[in-house]
Amino acid sequence: MPTALRSKGFIALALLPALLLFVVFVIVPIFWSAYYGVFEWKGIGASKFIGAGNYREILQDPIFWRALKNNLILVISAIIGQIPIALLLALVLVKNSFFSRFIRSAVFMPMVLSTVVVGLIWGYIYHPQFGLVNTILEAVGLESWTRAWLSVPHVNIFAITIPINWSNIGPYMIIFIAALQNISSEIYDAAHIDGAYGRKRLFYVTLPMIWSTVVVTMVLCISGSLKAFDHVMVMTQGGPAQSTELLATYMYNNTFRVYRYGYGSAVSTIIMIISALLIGINYILTRRKER
Amino acid sequence: MELRTTTAANIAIDSTGKKLALKGLSVLGKLILIGYAVLTLYPLYWLFISAFKTNEDFFKNPYSLPHAWMIENITRAWKLGNMGRAMLNSTFVTITAVILTLVLGILAGYVLSRFEFRFKKVAVTLFLAGLLIPIHSTLVPLFLMMNKIHLLDTYWALILPYTAFELPLAVFLAIGYMASIPREIEEAAMIDGNGWWGVFGRVIFPLCSPIVATISILAFLRFWNDFSFALVFINSQVLKTLPLSLSLFSDGFGTDYSLTMGAMAIAVIPTIAVYLILQDQIMKGMVAGSVKG
Amino acid sequence: MKSIRRMSLLLLIMAMFLAACGNSGSGSNKADGTKKEEKIKLSIWHNFAGDDLRAKTVRDLIDKFAQEHPEVELDAQAIPPDGYRQRLSTVAAGNELPDLFFVYAGSHSAELYNAGLLQPITEVTDQYPEWRDKFLPGAFDPYTFEPDKIYSAPIGMSATSILYYNKSLFEQYNVKVPTTWDEMMIAIDIFNENKITPIALGNKAPWVAQSTIIGSLADRVTGTEWFMNAVAQNGAEFTDPEFIEALGYFKQLVDKKVFQEGANSIDNTQAEQYFIQGNAAMMISGAWSLTNMAASASEEQMNVVDVTVLPAIPGGKGNANSISGGAGGGLALSTRTEGAVKDAALELIYAVSGPEAQKAIAESNSMVMYDTDIDESKVSSLYYKAFNLVKQSNITPVYDAYLSAEAAEVINNGLQEIMVGGTPESVAKKLQEAQARSKNQ
Repeated sequence: MPTALRSKGFIALALLPALLLFVVFVIVPIFWSAYYGVFEWKGIGASKFIGAGNYREILQDPIFWRALKNNLILVISAIIGQIPIALLLALVLVKNSFFSRFIRSAVFMPMVLSTVVVGLIWGYIYHPQFGLVNTILEAVGLESWTRAWLSVPHVNIFAITIPINWSNIGPYMIIFIAALQNISSEIYDAAHIDGAYGRKRLFYVTLPMIWSTVVVTMVLCISGSLKAFDHVMVMTQGGPAQSTELLATYMYNNTFRVYRYGYGSAVSTIIMIISALLIGINYILTRRKER
Repeated sequence: MELRTTTAANIAIDSTGKKLALKGLSVLGKLILIGYAVLTLYPLYWLFISAFKTNEDFFKNPYSLPHAWMIENITRAWKLGNMGRAMLNSTFVTITAVILTLVLGILAGYVLSRFEFRFKKVAVTLFLAGLLIPIHSTLVPLFLMMNKIHLLDTYWALILPYTAFELPLAVFLAIGYMASIPREIEEAAMIDGNGWWGVFGRVIFPLCSPIVATISILAFLRFWNDFSFALVFINSQVLKTLPLSLSLFSDGFGTDYSLTMGAMAIAVIPTIAVYLILQDQIMKGMVAGSVKG
Repeated sequence: MKSIRRMSLLLLIMAMFLAACGNSGSGSNKADGTKKEEKIKLSIWHNFAGDDLRAKTVRDLIDKFAQEHPEVELDAQAIPPDGYRQRLSTVAAGNELPDLFFVYAGSHSAELYNAGLLQPITEVTDQYPEWRDKFLPGAFDPYTFEPDKIYSAPIGMSATSILYYNKSLFEQYNVKVPTTWDEMMIAIDIFNENKITPIALGNKAPWVAQSTIIGSLADRVTGTEWFMNAVAQNGAEFTDPEFIEALGYFKQLVDKKVFQEGANSIDNTQAEQYFIQGNAAMMISGAWSLTNMAASASEEQMNVVDVTVLPAIPGGKGNANSISGGAGGGLALSTRTEGAVKDAALELIYAVSGPEAQKAIAESNSMVMYDTDIDESKVSSLYYKAFNLVKQSNITPVYDAYLSAEAAEVINNGLQEIMVGGTPESVAKKLQEAQARSKNQ
């Protein structure tokens, strides 16, 4: 091993540019924004210091709690929907045959499309009059199940989770494939000798080998779901009657539609605190499993 | 060269990945996969058929082929949206930001996964926090800041924030990936007389090609499709990027769907190309990379 | 790996090439600036960015101004309407507004005024009094923040509650075009029995039902004076029985399943298409639908459409021959604009909203708040009908042009709430609270 000094120089030079850029363009603005959170400010004109006033109001607003609940629904659906399916697909498609290459590309395609297109096509799939879902339900004699999927409160948020999961499976699959590619075949050979095949091999060899990647994807799932914005904005704009409001749309609407900039900033601070809490919980849970 | 071949021999990875896969897919499995693929490819198909429809046709027959193929949608969208220039701008901004993200992100990920030092926990936590930040909440502060340092209305007003916001993801993917690279490889390289830069440049980075490709794809898509930053930080017409062209045909009171779809069809082609190129990189994997490198 | 390297090299070269292009571009701009230093630099932001006739007309007017004023170096930015407010809000926060910018009538311009970012344009309206006096009554109301000081001249007019109906469906089922609420109920029953949607509505963007239906409907019940008092929180409140009654009429429509299922999840354009394809007998929408439908419907489809006003409400205090509407957006002048730049900016305001401009905009199938005659041959026949209908009707306030931004958001969401089962009373209460809170600040 080289000298400690050389390592230190390398660490500094390799880490600092990334850290610097990140701190200046992400961390500083976010503290700046958190600072606005203690003001009553419209984004323009004079501001008034109100301390924890915005936070108190947020916590008393039933719409905030509804938004949080909707976000938690997204988090749960992402963790039980995206990760297992992406992992399964990765395991099946890690082979480099023409067939699996084709399927892989297909699975990734929703990600390539802009959210607007995804929102539009799913809007048609769920369309109350000409939608595919309702057409199919009618065809199989389930007329009573048809409904305006994106309009009915309590149903619509679940309807929205499907397109979100559907578009996000691709990247997680790619991440898993990259990790699986990296498991050396010697390990499998050894496992083979030890009598681990099939399911046994999956749980005792493969999964532990890529566990760090699984944890990373879970973190991404949680943070991604709590930041979710685009799909809902395109499909329902958080409505009707704010029934599909998410924390991010709630923040956006307060900031740019109602011109309550200070309030919106306070909401984004709360979003980050909640994400940090959830990721902390996830960290503790996944660590236990590792042992 | 010698070094790399020995390393490759050490890790001896099956490039085709056959042994990694679950044993042979059943016909039923294949059918399910094909069904799933149809579900995911359909929107792309729908986008392209819709891009060639008149508005009337689009609403009347949302799922069928165009009655008459309106090439005009594409050419008009191209011209009205000033998409030629926008495409160049998007290409430059996106590629520069992707390269920056890769270099900075993977280096940082390597350091954070391999070394123990005093502020490591702080650095990791900071990057982790970066994953949690909803970008809309930083718009105003970023605008104010870049205004002060006279960065607004340049390519860098997009490149630097894009990179900064993608770094957490890049760093985390890199950290997760490094965990699966055996440390023996580095030790062998050290013995061969490489410093840390040599180890990273000659050994680690080449082994990273799957994760390089992954990060590139994700970053590329994010930058290419970003609307908010492009809207607020860029002023001059000549610097505008593609997403701004896509939203031109909707005015809050109504949307010209045929032009919107035409513009989107144009904008999606480069993303598909980039994905197809990079997906091969993920798969060609490590042996090929480190031997021929 | 080789190919990745080769590719990244290629990309790097491309990137450098582009950077060079970009730099040379900005470099030459700077050179221009130093060479012709006497030029007046005027910046303007607007949202006439699209491909519709009106946007093209306004852009042409701006171009014409630039040609006629070689001494002005005009930097005109057409910003996509979807992001316009967000862009303007952010830039306003940084106090970096351009010299001239498009503002919406109502709370948008009021917020900017309150923040001290606007200055009056009264100089130019005083300079051309014959122009100023030909604006329709009330045109300057939303822009008169202080007595005798006008802050913008409306470029267009919003007429938001035109009742569009499909003549052939009314004939086919032998229904009378409703002029009273009872007739409306009869028409609705007949269409529902025949599986025709009575009224198409696309309320995904929740301002639609508020802007097109409730303003006009409530005005018929409460009268305009009550509304203005309630806005000012001066002797009237949104919890007053007359407003609850007005919301009750809206609820009655909902309960009778007047709107197609899922109206809250489809957009404006989709609802227009649903109507124009003959799936719905009526549609209550603004003048913007004329433009949208003209762009996407066939001639046969357009020929069966006619326009009228909403039916009268029994015992209502308001004028039944009315359409909600008002001044559209206009150009506003930043406080920071001074001297020669300000003079040029005021000239540009006149160029874009002066008499010729108003006529040109009116002839681009778009309503104006200005007394002008239009050439029938230059516009679509449906637009011509609507233009005259609006001319002959009383104009009543659109709710979101007068409510605070927060209260407007509450009534928008509240109407959606009624559509999914909420009660008029609870919506009225929330609206009252929001408006009272904004007034007290």
